[in-house]
Amino acid sequence: MPARSELRDYYRIGAQLAPMQHQQEDWPYEISHGQYVAHMVPPHDVGGQPDTPVIYEEKEEEFWELNTYVTCEVLAWRGVWNAEERRRRGNNDLGQSLYYGFPYYGRWIWAAARMLVDKNHISLTELIEKVAEVRARYEQ
Amino acid sequence: MSSSSKSASARPARFKVGERVRVKDSPNLFYSRTQMYVRGVEGTIAMHTYQDLIPEDEAWNRDEAPQEQFYIVRFRQKDLWDGYPFENDTLQTELPDGWLEPVND
Repeated sequence: MPARSELRDYYRIGAQLAPMQHQQEDWPYEISHGQYVAHMVPPHDVGGQPDTPVIYEEKEEEFWELNTYVTCEVLAWRGVWNAEERRRRGNNDLGQSLYYGFPYYGRWIWAAARMLVDKNHISLTELIEKVAEVRARYEQ
Repeated sequence: MSSSSKSASARPARFKVGERVRVKDSPNLFYSRTQMYVRGVEGTIAMHTYQDLIPEDEAWNRDEAPQEQFYIVRFRQKDLWDGYPFENDTLQTELPDGWLEPVND
């Protein structure tokens, strides 16, 4: 009999082996109405999507996640994006791939950076150079 | 929702607790918090929550737009999901006045 922790892993791997259907997308000339409607749904409207069972976990926030939260709040105090709904829209506007593909706070920090560029608080070149500078510092 | 709403006006609430309503079957365009699965479905007003900017205004910083009453609306799960097997299960979600229309039985 497998240990309980192993059993959980077996089920998890099994769930990942389930076949998935993907729809090929390559900027088609025409799409069906169903595809149009599905594309227009804001990414956060996930209720009703079929999914495999997930394990409920109490996860403690990591340091970078807390930093992200504080950064977003400070940007609110400084008037960059006061309305909470404005911030949620920033998350949604990253699009399906980034919204679903990033951790929760990953999309928040991306949305914050995007907002700073959109509102001309920083230029995209400044942001790219800053990220490169920080990356180089960490690689040393 | 918004912590510092500056709206000048508020639209009066059109619905009372217990009234039947139908969620407007409006299309998605850019942004919404009205779930696709409740659109066009009838439910019952379970409670009044608060008045606030609607998400469609707050998301674009239209702070001066009129506020609307928000409600908890209760739906039968059978009405929401095709083939839902249990008669008595319900789902509650929060919707603003403008997304609702009266049901005339």
